[in-house]
Amino acid sequence: SSPAERKEEEPEAPAAGQSRSAGAMDGGWAWAAVLHFFLVNVLIMGMLKTFGIFFVAFQEEVGGSSEQVSWIGSIMSSLRFLGAPLVAVVCRKLGEWLTSIIGAGLVAGGCLLSTQATSVPFLCVSMGVLLGMGFACLYQAAAVMTAKRCRTRLALSNAIARSGMGLTFLMAPFTQLLIDLYGWQGTLLIFGGIMLNLVPSSMLLRPTSTHPPQRTAAKTQERGFLMAKKDSETLDGCLDESTPRETQLRSARDLPSTEGLMTSHDRDVSGPGDTSALERLKKPSTEGCSPETAAEAKRKTVPLTEKDSSEPLLDFSPLKDPVFFIFTWSFFFSHLAYFVPIFHLVARARTLGISSMDASYLIAVAGITETISQLLSGWVADQNWTKKYHYHVAYLVLSGVTNLLCPLATTFPWLMTYVVAFAVCCGGFMALVLPVLVDLVGVQKLHSYLGFAAFFAGIGAAGGPPLAGWLYDYTQTYVCSFLFAGACALVSPLSFLFEPLAQRWKLKKANM
Amino acid sequence: LLLGVSGTSVEKNITLDSATRIELSCRLDSEYSHLKSLQVTWKRGNETIRHINKTENSWSIQLRILDNSKLGSYSCVLQGEEEISAVFHLQVPKIEGKEKPIVSYEGDTVVMICKTFGYTPIAWTWYVTNGSEQIAVNDSLLADKYVIDRISANVTHLKILKLTKEDEGVYWCEAAFELGKSIGKLKLKVLSLMVPLKPFLAIVAEVVILVTIVFLYEMYLKKKEKCA
Repeated sequence: SSPAERKEEEPEAPAAGQSRSAGAMDGGWAWAAVLHFFLVNVLIMGMLKTFGIFFVAFQEEVGGSSEQVSWIGSIMSSLRFLGAPLVAVVCRKLGEWLTSIIGAGLVAGGCLLSTQATSVPFLCVSMGVLLGMGFACLYQAAAVMTAKRCRTRLALSNAIARSGMGLTFLMAPFTQLLIDLYGWQGTLLIFGGIMLNLVPSSMLLRPTSTHPPQRTAAKTQERGFLMAKKDSETLDGCLDESTPRETQLRSARDLPSTEGLMTSHDRDVSGPGDTSALERLKKPSTEGCSPETAAEAKRKTVPLTEKDSSEPLLDFSPLKDPVFFIFTWSFFFSHLAYFVPIFHLVARARTLGISSMDASYLIAVAGITETISQLLSGWVADQNWTKKYHYHVAYLVLSGVTNLLCPLATTFPWLMTYVVAFAVCCGGFMALVLPVLVDLVGVQKLHSYLGFAAFFAGIGAAGGPPLAGWLYDYTQTYVCSFLFAGACALVSPLSFLFEPLAQRWKLKKANM
Repeated sequence: LLLGVSGTSVEKNITLDSATRIELSCRLDSEYSHLKSLQVTWKRGNETIRHINKTENSWSIQLRILDNSKLGSYSCVLQGEEEISAVFHLQVPKIEGKEKPIVSYEGDTVVMICKTFGYTPIAWTWYVTNGSEQIAVNDSLLADKYVIDRISANVTHLKILKLTKEDEGVYWCEAAFELGKSIGKLKLKVLSLMVPLKPFLAIVAEVVILVTIVFLYEMYLKKKEKCA
């Protein structure tokens, strides 16, 4: 196969030159995607967190009991997750660019519509449903786009984007100021405008049709299938996340990802781009990193025409994939473990006799530490010293242990220590959620997997706070919430123990 | 029964909403009990009160508060080598108004709320400041403008419909107790719709500019690709 290889390499050279300039652009577009994701995080999380300030204003003016008004907030934050599978379908049909713009439009429209609200049910729909679905669209599109663009430094990019959440503490005083100046209707009007900013930033999510590196990285999986060892040597670190991982996983996910590659290309690529994508498959341009073989190119072009129509609109295949269950189990429990302590931290500090001023220091420290820890964890994970999910598991276990030890923290210094340790662990595992999912299932299938995983996480997010509240009511102490969170955090990485088994099962199934 | 422990000058607020009997006493800390030659006077303003009950370390007076005239500041002064005093302020319950103005828009409806904590007033009255006077808000006279609701015993709502710029200003809610009246202050600000609209339009303009920039950049890129 070597002469065929060499023949393939020659036409690559001029194409490689062309794509090198496109490659520089790629780096630019990758950062654009990260910037957009960052903005999405800031604005979405900011809106969700400042809802509490609106809560008071709504209750006074629009009327309605505390419970009714808090429904608005619940619908808003849970739809963000629960709407994800639907959004995944929309994304694959329309592409991330359009979905993100629609999401931004929904959010801005929802805000503007809410200014006319006169009753709680109205607000439930206008703020809860519209904003929730808009957030889901935005988040899904941004997350998947980031995963598609930043192949090499996904963990770090994800961490940078998530650090936007740390900035949301600025939103609260800002919102309060706006409410004092303009009342809640004026504030919502201005928020609508601010959310409109997400429209130009969504326009930065250009479709990846014209960008080779993404396909070549996927191709390296297939190449691995045919020529395992040889290619792992030639693989340049610039394209792949984790070479040893690829060669291990390629066999398991080869076939599914081939299909995924072909069909999602048809979706991603706009009309004229189709034929160019086909051509590029035959003459892959790779920035000189990874050579192709004729045999492989042939293999790819054949499935292209066949698999076109075979993929259903709503892809339920994640539900049949054991890897999905592994990931979702872990995602679900880690979310529970994350939200519950944050919810009850201040209350616990109060019951220990710590003043609210000091308690708010705790929160501030937690926020800052988590942001720093996310960035560090992302950077470390990208160094590829070991598989990403090992880090994920390590952080989860540590956070579980920390939570279990929390009841011992009864004075302010100890509580501060707990908060720092917890924030470090949380930042660590939160930053790695997306990269681990990408590692497990690859970028092509990311939409449907992320969609369904988010759906289950949404159930956890919706049920978590009430569950924690019930725990407190039942045991009359906040200690139990922390123990519960610790238990969740320890339970969640258990599923990863089954990961090698699952991969082998998939391989057997694929080989049958 | 209320105690004032003295060391230095001490003040205490006592809230009363209905007629009651009350005993105020000043008690001296044991450290000071060596000051034997002490003359204790209970005063209200300039008026001295007799009938002081004296025990070993405390001096107290008993009062029957029946109406507003009996409220005020009562002080006990212990005259020895130094003068030690304590003051008790007997008051009606206070109402909380709002520090920050309530913001609303022209043509909209606003609800102003006044609450008392723990004590139930006999009646609520709302006043609006017209110039320098306070005019009572008569909701039966102007039923399509003002609606006064007593939501619960401790809470009153003043709903103002069809706001105009003239409705802006200071409002007072007054709670009548058996022993007196208490006032809370609320400020209303009425904005025209243009006010928040300006920043909004500014932001929209900025968004449009950004969108145009991104569009132009993309067109430029496409041209570059076509040429290349």
